[in-house]
Amino acid sequence: MSITAETAKEHANDPAVLCCRAEEGITIQASNLEDPAIFDDLVDSGLLDLEGALTIEQVLGATLTKTCDSLCPLTADVVEGAKAAAAPEKAAEEAAEPAPAVPAAPQAAVGPGQVLRIHIGEGKDIDIELPVGLANISAPTPAGVPGVIPALAADTEVQETNEEKIVRTLTRKHYKITEVKRGPETKIEGTTLYIREGIEKECVDSQELVFDLKIDIITPEDYHTYSETIMDVQPIACKEGEDEVGSGTTRVLDGVIMMVTGTDANGVQIGEFGSSEGYLDENIMWNRPGAPDKGEIFIKTQVTIKEGTNMERPGPLAAHTATDHITQEIREALKELENDSLVVDTETFDQVRRPGKKKVVIVKEIMGQGAMHDNLILPVEPVGVLGAKPNVDLGNVPVCVSPLEVLDGCIHALTCIGPASKEMSRHYWREPLVLEALHDPEVDLCGVIFVGSPQINSEKFYVSKRVGMMVEMMDVDGAFVTTEGFGNNHIDFASHHEQIGMRGIPVVGMSFCAVQGALVVGNKYMTNMVDNNKSESGIENEVLACNTLCHEDAIRALAMLKNAMAGEEVKTAERKWNPNVKGTNVELISNVTGKPIELAKNEQSLPMSQKRKEKYD
Amino acid sequence: MENLQFLLRQHVGAPCEPVVKAGDRVEKGTLIAVPAGLGANIFSSIYGSVQSVLEDRIVIAPDEEQKEEFVPIHEGSWLEMVKEAGVVGMGGAGFPTGVKLGTDLKGGFILVNAVECEPGLYHNIRQIEDNIEMTLKGVKYCMEISNAGKAIFAIKSKNEKAVEVLRKAVRDEENISIHLLPDIYPMGEERAVVRETLGKLLDPTQLPSAADSIVINVETVLRVAEAIDFRKPCFSKNMTVVGKLKGGNEPHVYMDVPVGISVGDLIERAGGIDGVYGEIIMGGPFTGKAVGKDAPVTKTTGGIIVTIDLPDLHGAPVGLLVCACGGDEARMRDVCEKMHGNVVSVARCKQAVEMKNGTLKCENPGNCPGQAQKCLQFKKDGSEYVIMGNCSDCSNTVMGSAPKMNLKVFHQTDHVMRTINHPLYRRLKVSKQVEQLPEGK
Repeated sequence: MSITAETAKEHANDPAVLCCRAEEGITIQASNLEDPAIFDDLVDSGLLDLEGALTIEQVLGATLTKTCDSLCPLTADVVEGAKAAAAPEKAAEEAAEPAPAVPAAPQAAVGPGQVLRIHIGEGKDIDIELPVGLANISAPTPAGVPGVIPALAADTEVQETNEEKIVRTLTRKHYKITEVKRGPETKIEGTTLYIREGIEKECVDSQELVFDLKIDIITPEDYHTYSETIMDVQPIACKEGEDEVGSGTTRVLDGVIMMVTGTDANGVQIGEFGSSEGYLDENIMWNRPGAPDKGEIFIKTQVTIKEGTNMERPGPLAAHTATDHITQEIREALKELENDSLVVDTETFDQVRRPGKKKVVIVKEIMGQGAMHDNLILPVEPVGVLGAKPNVDLGNVPVCVSPLEVLDGCIHALTCIGPASKEMSRHYWREPLVLEALHDPEVDLCGVIFVGSPQINSEKFYVSKRVGMMVEMMDVDGAFVTTEGFGNNHIDFASHHEQIGMRGIPVVGMSFCAVQGALVVGNKYMTNMVDNNKSESGIENEVLACNTLCHEDAIRALAMLKNAMAGEEVKTAERKWNPNVKGTNVELISNVTGKPIELAKNEQSLPMSQKRKEKYD
Repeated sequence: MENLQFLLRQHVGAPCEPVVKAGDRVEKGTLIAVPAGLGANIFSSIYGSVQSVLEDRIVIAPDEEQKEEFVPIHEGSWLEMVKEAGVVGMGGAGFPTGVKLGTDLKGGFILVNAVECEPGLYHNIRQIEDNIEMTLKGVKYCMEISNAGKAIFAIKSKNEKAVEVLRKAVRDEENISIHLLPDIYPMGEERAVVRETLGKLLDPTQLPSAADSIVINVETVLRVAEAIDFRKPCFSKNMTVVGKLKGGNEPHVYMDVPVGISVGDLIERAGGIDGVYGEIIMGGPFTGKAVGKDAPVTKTTGGIIVTIDLPDLHGAPVGLLVCACGGDEARMRDVCEKMHGNVVSVARCKQAVEMKNGTLKCENPGNCPGQAQKCLQFKKDGSEYVIMGNCSDCSNTVMGSAPKMNLKVFHQTDHVMRTINHPLYRRLKVSKQVEQLPEGK
């Protein structure tokens, strides 16, 4: 479509193409030219060949010497009076001219917006020394306005408060489990976990909608076992004494996880967009933050819920609650251990605030459409059920939590779309972006906002506006927006970007997109995106947790946000999904930090399942 | 002759209020409804008796015998007589002429719209050819009433005979000239006429008065002259009936058709429909609407077109390109539905601006702003076909990209053009520039 004079200026060096038929003798104006923004599409469609085209800057004001039709590139043979393509030289000349009267003072570096921008494209061993009072250098002051800004006193204050501050601490005590057995009572003896025989009946009885529950102990030798769709993977952990989720001490079992699987009474998988049923070893992407690690033992429940309730909220919740009956009994047993001699490892997480550093917030969009798309927020025990509020019931409004609450299991995830991109409960326990941001000495992570993704568009915008307000009040310098799944939730994902971006806050988005999850909506603030895809063909391949946020994604997002906060522009995305972009970026980051980054494996490292063979690869 | 129906809303403004009741005798020229607010008087066009007064119309049963005489309007100032006669813009807009001419142009321009831009219509041009004397008289009245210094006839150069007649008529008129226009659509849009004749492009919200001018349809001018010279109320309409009619697709031009007569009556008068047909369009191919045979003629009805059957797309996915120059989205969907197309994408021309009343106006009528992006949208949304309602220039642009994307293109007017043997709106082959007459004479 025809462009305005401003657009023509922005695209001065892009090729000039007629948007419509123009007759011989006209003076070429911006309104005769097609918008360069669609050239790629046009070239792809075979509609346009830009060979030999003059630039927009060259043709403006020139005369067309021949009647040409729409989408005709303006070449030298149809234009008379085109400007020569020598703009850069001219600019240099102008700059070289002495600037009379105005002293070329430090003001030149500090624009009227009071921003000092230092751009280093590539470099090594660079020391930049700036006077302490630099922040107070004012731009040439307009007459009559006092240009002095509160001076040294403020600087000293800043200096004093610039030290790291530990807000709270979380300790994780790890207990090693090497064997899981059934026995007369649930207990931990040495490295053996016993689960009470007959507990299944209590689980079933506790939930009206649960018709049956089976427990399978899956050891590495049994990985090639058929399973119904995996609904969730959960750490087995409890708080010590009166400690609350997010602080104090947490006890966690190593080498074993809870796995919730199930169908309805008609045998329909409890999943909406694809499901991960099949042989476990073919359908689990090992060692993803949310997935089991290879070598772990699974306490796998296979829950059968009332027919037809697989797509309603109470059904999946009942399956989770029934399973948690077992987990809770293990937690009780874990709590009773008095001897720290079984502790094999102790981890400490400090919630550090870094005043003076770039303040960032992580907004995590979690599913809240109802049915199985729900999340229980802040249970009493890590990833428990008791005491938690479903975000759907909270109206999906944003809820602020501390990074340590995230890492301590404040989310019990019921989410179900789709197996490869959903973030299961264990994901939050090992959330890579939270961990990276928390440990990065260059940023000040102030907290995490969870916001549900409602089903209805009006509600999506309702919650999104709350996110905008919340982030505004935090006075952050930058924000991450992450989401799980793809499709419907991308509408609010996009809106979160807009709400944050319109407040002048740089924002980096993270989602599975690639081919199948390509964004359905967008806006001008969605310029910094990290794709969580790992699959070979860029698809939701129904391999559990394959395309979820991993360490390699977290570091890319962090690097991107730092650049965005420094005013760097991220290159426009290529038109088609190109996995090499990620490779290049990872390499760049690795070169700068000096740390090698090992990329996570994808489904190609797993034995090929019949389903994958037929449907995907 | 069947009953006649006089719609109470047949021009801009609120519906008129009836001043007759069932059983009343009416004559040709009897006032039957008066405006409530902005509007114009409505008169009976026949002798007869009022059958019924309905919410939206007055139904009159005609007498067997009809006389030529009519009830004259009162003597008064020229402007008062135009108002009383209920003259409205006959080009289709229906704005009350008495209000329009009430503007003091302070030496500005009367722009006589003789463009007759909708293909297939001939009654405006025929009027110039057959009745230039009265037409010219009307122009002078309009100039006098509105205090205009000049008048310009805007007419397409292809109408050679009418142009010759006009040249003769204005040769000795110091203040009246002719501006020739190319044969592209649309040139008759009010702001296009101003732009072409005076070189000033108005915003969609501006009236021609912003360019010190009044644009007035050539038939309206004639009705003004009739009101003043003959004290004749405005109750008749010049029209073209054309299409798939017995006897062929040549246009039938009817002068002074009584307002209120049914479309069906007129079609019968023109020979009747020839076999299977697609639509009956009231108005022109671009801006007209499909109607039934019982729809009545109003003061703004210009054409009645009976079309051939529409092609069948068998449910194929269609993208609609809606534009201010053609039908609105409802009309485009109507055409698509009749073609059994499935609308999967709707785009609106970049230049089509929505007015407060919901209608679309083009920012620069007849000059394309580019359509490639719209075609990309259609392709992306899975369209196989495009139905466009665009002007000549935009249609040309669509043809520059859609076919290369394997989109098959239809124009909203195709079935009409095929009916009347007019070239389809696709590629633009004529220049937008026309050589003007020396000094407009």
